[in-house]
This record gives sequence, C-alpha cells and structure tokens, in this order.
Amino acid sequence: MTSSHRALAGPAACVLGLVAVLGLVAPAATPAGPRDPGYTKVFACSACHGRDGASRSDTVPVLAGMPAWYLKKAIEDYAAGRRPAAEMEPYAKMVLGLGVDDVAAYFAARPKAPTPIAPDPAAVERGGTAAQPCVACHGAEGKGDRSKGAPDLTGQPPGYLLNQMLLFKADTRSPGDPALTAQKALLKAIPDPQLADIAAWWASRR
Amino acid sequence: MTVVSRRAFLRTSGLGLGLGVLGGCAPAVRGDFLPRRGPRVVVVGGGWGGATAAKYVKLGDPGIEVILLEPNRRFVSCPMSNLVLSGVRTLESLTRGYGGLRAHGVRILHREASAIEPDRKRVRVDEGYLEYDRLVVAPGIEFQTEQVEGLAAAGDRVLHAWKAGPQTVALARELQAVRDGGVVVLSIPPPAFRCPPGPYERACQVAWYLKRQKPRAKLIVLDASPNIISKTGLFRAAWRAYPNLEYRPSNRVVRVDPDAREVTTDFGDRLRYDVVNLIPPQRAGTIAVRADLVGADGRWCEVNHVTYESVKHAGIHVVGDSTIGLPVPKSGTMANAMGKICAHQVVRLLAGRPPEPMAPVNVCYSWVNDVEAMAVINAYRIQNGKVVQVEQKLTPGQSAASGRNALAWARSIWDDVLA
Repeated sequence: MTSSHRALAGPAACVLGLVAVLGLVAPAATPAGPRDPGYTKVFACSACHGRDGASRSDTVPVLAGMPAWYLKKAIEDYAAGRRPAAEMEPYAKMVLGLGVDDVAAYFAARPKAPTPIAPDPAAVERGGTAAQPCVACHGAEGKGDRSKGAPDLTGQPPGYLLNQMLLFKADTRSPGDPALTAQKALLKAIPDPQLADIAAWWASRR
Repeated sequence: MTVVSRRAFLRTSGLGLGLGVLGGCAPAVRGDFLPRRGPRVVVVGGGWGGATAAKYVKLGDPGIEVILLEPNRRFVSCPMSNLVLSGVRTLESLTRGYGGLRAHGVRILHREASAIEPDRKRVRVDEGYLEYDRLVVAPGIEFQTEQVEGLAAAGDRVLHAWKAGPQTVALARELQAVRDGGVVVLSIPPPAFRCPPGPYERACQVAWYLKRQKPRAKLIVLDASPNIISKTGLFRAAWRAYPNLEYRPSNRVVRVDPDAREVTTDFGDRLRYDVVNLIPPQRAGTIAVRADLVGADGRWCEVNHVTYESVKHAGIHVVGDSTIGLPVPKSGTMANAMGKICAHQVVRLLAGRPPEPMAPVNVCYSWVNDVEAMAVINAYRIQNGKVVQVEQKLTPGQSAASGRNALAWARSIWDDVLA
C-alpha cells in the first residue's frame, strides 16, 4: 500500500484527486448494504468476525480490508483441512458453496479496521527487533506480498497472530507444505514468549 | 444490574418527545398509540433473535420503521452465565444496553406485548395497540412449572437460573453458602430446552467451584434423558476431573418439596438437598402460546425454514428458542443467525420480492472450568425448502485455546446482536 501511494505522488496523484473531487471515481470502500452480492453471504461470518469484518476480539482475525486473494486462500485452506480448525472448517465449506469470491470481495471492500486491542507497550518494543525475520516475506512494513503468499500482518489481533505462529511452529498449519519449511524452521528457533512479542509488534503496526 | 434512573432512561431512550412517556412507570396506553409513518416491522422480544432481527431489518432497509417491544431495560447474556455460578464472571460483565440498536434507528419501547391480533395485524400493549406490516416474535422460552409438583408454589425457593438475571446471582450465593459436605442437586428436564449443552456445562462449573471451595460437598445431576444430550464424549472426559460430580441419567424430577428440601424422581426415589437447581421443562414464551403460534404440543412454534414465517399465521415470523422443527439447537448463535436471515426475508417480502433461501450456522462453546472450553459447530443448507444439517464438528477436546475463542465469540456476537 505504502509503495503504491508513493508511486502516485506528483502529477498523477493530482489528476486522480481532481477526478475524485468531481465524483468521477467511486470511493474504494462501497457502503455495506443489501445490494452488495456478499451482504447476505457474510451472515455466516458476522457473528464472530463482525458484520464488516472489523473483529474486536483477540483471537478472531480482522477481515475488513483483507485482500481478496488471501481471504480466498484462507477459506480454501480451512475447507480442505490444511488449516485444521473445528471452528472454521464447516463455515469455510459453506462459504465455498455460497461463493467465496463474493465473500472475499465484500470484506476486501470494507475499510481496514485495525484491532482495538492494544498490546503491552513493552512487548511491542521488544517485538520490533524480534520481528525482523518476518520482513523477508511479509515486507519491511508487514503489509504482505501476494507473490510470496504472505498476508498483511498489521493491525491483526495479537492473540490471532500468536496462535498462527504457534500452529506453524507445531507444523499443524499447512503440515508438510514444502513452501513453508524454511519459515517453520525459523519459528521453531524462536521461544514462545518472543513469538508473543512479535505478535504484539505487528498488531500495533498500522 | 445497574439501576437506570427514570431521568437517565428518558434522556437516552431515543424515543422522542412523544414517546418518552411510554417508558417506565408511564400510564397505560390506549388505542393506536403510535400511528404508522410507513412500512413497519414490530419485533416482540429483545433477546438474541429479536434484537438481531430488529437491527438487521434496519440495515437491510433504513426506510422501514422498526419498533422493538422489550420489557427489560438491559440485555443479559444467557451464554457465559454459568460462569457466574462459579464466580469466574459477574452478571454485570454479561449485561449490555440497547443503545446500539437505537443508533441503527430501532425504536425501543420497554413495554410488554400482551397479545397479538393476526387478523388485524396489531400487537396489544396495555389497552392500546401497535399496527404492523410484518411481526417478528422472539419470546424465548417459558417454564412449564406445572410439570413438577410443588414447583409453582415454591416460587424463588427453588431456582431455575435458566434466564440469566437475578436468579443466576441468587444461585451463585446459595452455592457460596452451602456447607462443606453439603449436597447440591441439579435437575435437567427432558428435551427440548434452551441450550442443550448448558446443563452439562453448568455441572462442570458447579463441580469446579465445589472442588475448590467445598471439597467435601457433592453435586448430584439428575437428568431426565438417558444420556448427556450434547458433546457427550467431551463432557464425559471433562467430568473425569470432578469426582465430586455424580451423574444419574434417566432420573426425571417430578416433585420438589422446599420445606423438606427434597426432590422426588419418576422412580419414586427421594433425594435430600442443601441446594437445588431445578431447570424446569420448557415451552415457547407465553405470548406465542396466547397468539396460537404453537403447534399441537402446545409448546413450540413451527415455522417456514426459509422465511421463519409461522405456519399458522401469515405475516408473523418466529425466531430463536421458541421455534421447533428445524434440526438446530436452541442456542444464542442460532437465534442470532435466524434473526439475520428472517430480517433479510422480511425486507424482501415488504418490497414485494421473493424470499432468498439461506441456511443458518451454529457454534456452541461450553466451559469446563475457569479457562478451558470446547465447542460444537454445525453447518446447514436448504434442501427442498427445509434446513438440513450438512456437517457437525467438535473441537478435539477441551483447551485454553477454545476458552480464548469462546471469549472472542462472546464479544463479537454480542456486537452482532446489539451494536
């Protein structure tokens, strides 16, 4: 996101700004409403993730503003059991049946809503250094890289981020996936309390 | 429960000048006390299903006037309330206001609907009435106290604590006061009842509390069913931590004598107790019975599986624990799902559009101690106009991770219902 904003600096940004002022470009985030083809399909999600995907809970990830490609991948992984989770698998299968593209597009169009859970400042400070190994795939600012299959980590709830790292570490998430062997080896070398610091760091980033 | 002053209530009720008088100790209303301004949906009952339905009708079409009739000023969550018995949570932590619904434009009258007139499309309140275009009835459950001899006369001396509120706190106090070495009896009614795993979760919480605080006390669970009816294996495993818990299946309590502090089962066995928690047999909330929405059994409301419209009265939808016939549990998550789907269909029907088949979902967490929980998850689809279950999954066992997920679920779904 940041790099694309930088790329738009200068005359191009001015032109786009003018076009937006003249109302020629629809806002990026369309209002959530019954006309959106995903509106009713996310009824299955909203009890836990929030109607707009703006989870306020520690272990439930924020879906608001999540890129469609990653949400789709997550749903497919849960449904196939690559991410074993009793609480997600039946819903993921249901979403595939309803139309995962509509659901992914719905959440991607919502404004990103970082977790309201404020991690311990000391953990955040420690985490800044400890999180350096993450940037190779997730980018210097943790915003993710689709070409590497790496999601945006920023603003996700710390409990969710920690859980995912522990699942990778135990090789229960995407078990045996050769594309993740190196990352899992990296995580295995990091003690659990330090993983919590890393989670705090990315949760605090915007 | 926080006491809300009349002045504070009137200030925040959002009813507007003309409606402010309807709150609290206002005089009885008469006639058509709130003339219609456009298409109107009235919702009876502000629990999990009704509050969700009210909010989602407004989200679906802000032009529809939505009026919610709910006598209670604050919402108290039944899910999580077993943790109040063990002292892990307070009732206040499960209590929320209705301000979020008002922010969506829902008009809330803290009055009780006394009757429904389906032919005239009116809901009676006191001596007056409210007209509706579509009515959503979400009255929850009521107790069949007549099914247990002595129960009706016992009043508050025999607690159910099956509607989160004052009885939950009262039962927690009785547990705190029980002598070490005392006997606590928990009686589970025959199905169907609100929250199928709830009594077994309650057994865990009471046993956990007694084990720590009254190590010589004992919990005897008298279950009308021949076995644990939900998460059977998981509860059996959880109960291994509680040697102070004695489970007696196929023991239906038919009589209670609070003077002798004794219950009697259908086998004629008598059991003395120090504390009793008698969860009575249940039926749909009273207004559903009065409005002839219940079936031949006189207990539950049969509905269309797509629209939640009553099979007995057109224009009246029923959601939540008072429904029957769908292969779903009477759970908070399910009531929330029904509320959303029903609201969507109501909006479509009012716009002259056909309903859109949508299946509900369910997740139920049960706490086995202060930090560990487990869950059952159900997925459904609509087949030939009926809800059918396509999958049921259980968490592999109890865990602190599931406990954290249970807390996250509660926080999120309370928002989905009320915020």
